[in-house]
Amino acid sequence: MDIRAYIESGAIESYVLGIADQQEAAEFEQLAAQYPEIRSAREAFEASLEQKALADAIAPPPEIEKALLEQLSFQKPAAVIRRLPIKTYIAAAAIVLLVISGGLNFYLYNRLRNSDDAYASLLARQTSLLTDNQSIQTRMLDMYNSMQLMSDTSVTKVSMTPVPGKTGSFATVFWDNHTKEVYLLPNKLAKAEPGKQYQLWAIVDGKPVDAGVMGECAGLCHMKNIPRASAFAITLEKEGGSPTPTMSQLYVFGKVS
Amino acid sequence: MESAQKYSEPELVALLREKSQPVFHYLYEHYSGALYSIILGIVRDEELAKDVLQEVFVKIWKQVDSYDAGKGRLFTWMLNIARNASIDVVRSKAYQQNLHNKELNEETRLLTGITESKTDHIGLRKLVHHLKEDYRLLIELAYFQGYTQDEMSKMLSIPLGTVKTRLRSALIQLREMIKP
Repeated sequence: MDIRAYIESGAIESYVLGIADQQEAAEFEQLAAQYPEIRSAREAFEASLEQKALADAIAPPPEIEKALLEQLSFQKPAAVIRRLPIKTYIAAAAIVLLVISGGLNFYLYNRLRNSDDAYASLLARQTSLLTDNQSIQTRMLDMYNSMQLMSDTSVTKVSMTPVPGKTGSFATVFWDNHTKEVYLLPNKLAKAEPGKQYQLWAIVDGKPVDAGVMGECAGLCHMKNIPRASAFAITLEKEGGSPTPTMSQLYVFGKVS
Repeated sequence: MESAQKYSEPELVALLREKSQPVFHYLYEHYSGALYSIILGIVRDEELAKDVLQEVFVKIWKQVDSYDAGKGRLFTWMLNIARNASIDVVRSKAYQQNLHNKELNEETRLLTGITESKTDHIGLRKLVHHLKEDYRLLIELAYFQGYTQDEMSKMLSIPLGTVKTRLRSALIQLREMIKP
């Protein structure tokens, strides 16, 4: 096959311009696949055809592109168009989140402060309850000890009854036979006026001996040790007690049985 | 061709297949003038040419998957879409009817080539005027009117072989004219 002659025959141009019939087109495609010269001749003609067409270009009316842009569906631009609002959405969402976060911070801060206050008050209550508890325990222990003492057979119980004119007053002395310790239970004694205190006296050989003043005590009041006594009595004295009892202020009296 | 961006042909084809809008814009900006000129050269009516150009770009857009780079350049493919779409219009009944009413006898126009409208100065058609008359007729019928060589052989009562030989000679002359 004379390739040169074929190239110069116009068969290539006929094919490129779509004038060739089916048989010619098939022949061309077969030869082009076989001979690179034919392919490059075709490419050269196509290139010059394109050059010529571009040189002869006549600008179409602009409305055609507009119509096409409306008519055709595009993939990428849709993504591009969508991308911009996404940025806006993100920005808007960020602002909304910031506001929510700010609000949340304020709310949580307030709650934290309230919680702190509540915690502090709980802590204070707990401390006070603990203190109360301790004092109650102490009193319970005292009471228990008192009960032990009262029921102890080696402890002598002296009931002091009111003297005439002091009706209603009543007190009891618990006197340990071994240790000689004296405990006073003020069963019924009017509250001492300010500046005054009740004072216990042991009657030893007919004479009153100071057995101590009664302070604020839970349950039994621990008084002074008394080795010997025939009776006990309580008078109301000035604060701190007196060396001798004021007989006019005698409230209760009880013999040791 | 003011577009700053340049695509190689494989890039262009790949992006067209992805339906990229920027690439469509590039394609349109780059080739719409050339294709419009080709269409105008065949349909010879601006209103019709506008419709055909729009149709051609829709076809390019929708059929780009069927483009086979092994068979030729993208532009050649587009040119043939434009040419075929234009010929379809030219050969439609409506067009023929309109032409018949508007102009003189079609045969006279074809055979003498006397219709010296402004579209005769466009692109290939202008070159065709420089061809020998029997060549000019064959190119007119084959390229601009879309007649097959077989049809022309029957129409003009010339043997098919002669039609082919003459057409090819005419094309060789055209080729030399458009060489840069």
